[in-house]
Order: sequence, then structure tokens, then C-alpha cells
Amino acid sequence: MNRKFLALLPLLAFALVCVFLFQGLFANPREIQTGRLGQQMPAFNLPDLMQDSKRWQESDLKGDVYLLNVWGTWCPTCLAELDYLTQLREQGVRIIGLYYVQSYDSDFDGEFDIVALRDEVSTMLGRAGDPYQFNILDLNRTLALDLGVSGAPETFLVDSKGTILLHHTGDINPRVWRAKFAPLMQELKP
Amino acid sequence: MKYVLISFFLLFSTGILAEQNRYVFANDEQAQRFGELTKELRCPKCQNQNIADSDAVVAKDLRDKVLLLVKDGKTKDEVIDYMIDRYGYFVHYEPPVTPATLVLWVLPVLIVIFGFGFIVFRQRKAAVKQTWNDQDEVLLTKLIAKNQRQEQN
Repeated sequence: MNRKFLALLPLLAFALVCVFLFQGLFANPREIQTGRLGQQMPAFNLPDLMQDSKRWQESDLKGDVYLLNVWGTWCPTCLAELDYLTQLREQGVRIIGLYYVQSYDSDFDGEFDIVALRDEVSTMLGRAGDPYQFNILDLNRTLALDLGVSGAPETFLVDSKGTILLHHTGDINPRVWRAKFAPLMQELKP
Repeated sequence: MKYVLISFFLLFSTGILAEQNRYVFANDEQAQRFGELTKELRCPKCQNQNIADSDAVVAKDLRDKVLLLVKDGKTKDEVIDYMIDRYGYFVHYEPPVTPATLVLWVLPVLIVIFGFGFIVFRQRKAAVKQTWNDQDEVLLTKLIAKNQRQEQN
């Protein structure tokens, strides 16, 4: 009995390695979860993308479940997901944009050209669909850093009390929505 | 004259080196801490590069943040915790010991112990005890004598 078991041991080890490597084939190394899961939305005070005078704080967002979608006009995948996000908005999902400015450095680039950016944003959203209730401009990517954002697009699901429930890296499409977001949304809205 | 020239060029070359060092610190200890941290923290975008190495926007942002925190007098652990709070354990090249990662530490040790155990066990089994007595001695002499005779024929 013991000898038989010993003889089978290498086969068993091989099978285990196979299972481990096989699931590695389908693992997504980009799927990094923020360290903020289950925590409150970090504090911020940032301007609106479209209006000069308007500023947003974390307390302004509370009260209803929302998606915080990190995006930029420079990001092709963001453009690709706009259509589906707009459909979600039509279904009543509240989506707030966090505009991620890529590599702006005030020490080198001089004054930021907000007029040109607004123009670009309006053109893109006019053409591809506008899912956003409003957009927060994160010029120096401070809120992005506090949220553990590594690029765009990324999306956070935040509940009405401001707790971060989900962090998704990459685009949102029907498959991702059904698998990751829909079950949580159902729980939140009985 | 030669030495004057050499010392002149030496002075000149150190000037260039100083210019290449983009970050200015209050003391060497801070400079060293910054160097260690940027090598130990992992870029969340360009995976398998540290933030000192990567050109990604997020790596630059993290470098700037590390610089700020180090200049603020934060210790190494405080900076690492700050980053883990935001980017998770992924951002540090040294994963913490948790139930999920325990296997990384325990498995190699177990493999070594069992491997050596197996070798020792097999060798003990293989080594049969040798015995030798007078009867064997007689048998041996007989065999030798017989063999020698055969060779003579």
C-alpha cells in the first residue's frame, strides 16, 4: 500500500502542477485590486472638467450608488467602452467620470490648455455617446494615485455611503458587466 | 603642467556627474532611502519593472510621491505602507507572509527535507550488513584454490 502510494506521488505532483499552470493560462496579470477595497472613498477637492467655478468633494458623490470611470480622450479602450457605458446610463446607472490627464507636468509643460481639452472631450462624447453625469478633472493624478489607479480605463463601484466595493481594470463590456458588476448592483438595489 | 591638466579635467568631469543627478536631497541617508524604495516598489502598469526603471506615467507619479514622502522624513516602512494602502501588496516586491503566501516559504523547505529524507532512507535500506566468519574463510580459500587449478589447466 505504502509503496504503491510512493510510486503514485510523482504523478500526483505532476497533476497538481498541471492544474496550477492551466489556470495560469487564463489569469489576467493586469487585474490588480486597489488597496482601497471596502474602504471609504479618499478625500479630494478637484475641479469640474467642464465648468471653471465648480469643484467636487467626496461628500458630494454620496447618496446613491455610482460608478467612477477613469478615462481620457488619449485612451482608445476608453473610446471603445463609451457606447456600452452610455447604454448603462440609459438603464439608470449613475456614472461619474474621473478625467485622467496623461503625463501633464506643470514644471515642463507650462500652463494647461483646458479650452483645447474641453473641445476634445465634447467632440469625442458627442460622437461616441456621453455616459457621464459629470466629470472630475484630475490634472495631477492625485485622486488617481490615492485610488491605486495604474492607467485608463478603470472603473470603481461605490455604494451610497461612499464605500468602494469593486475595482475593475480594463474596459466594461456586457460580459464584464454580467460577471462582475450586475450581481453587486442587484444586491445594492433590491 | 600635466597634473594641472589632469586635475582640471577631473574637476570638469565631476561637474557633469553632478548635473546628471536630478534629485537633490537634504542628506545622503534620504538619497539612499529614495534609491532603495524606487528599486523595491513595483510599477503597476509595466509589470516586472520597478518604478525606478519604468517610464510609465504611473511610475513617474509614484516616484514623485516617494520623493515627496522621503523629503518629508518618512521612514522606508511608512512609504511602503502608503503605497500598499493604495495599490495593494502587488506594488511591493517582497510579499508579506499571509496564509495565501505561506506556501512560498514553506514548500521549498519541505521539498529539501523530504528529498534528503528519501535519499537517506533509501541508502539505509540498500546497505545490507556484512558478516564474515571462519566458515566463509574456508569457503573462500577453497574457491581460490579451485580457480587457480582451472587456470593452470
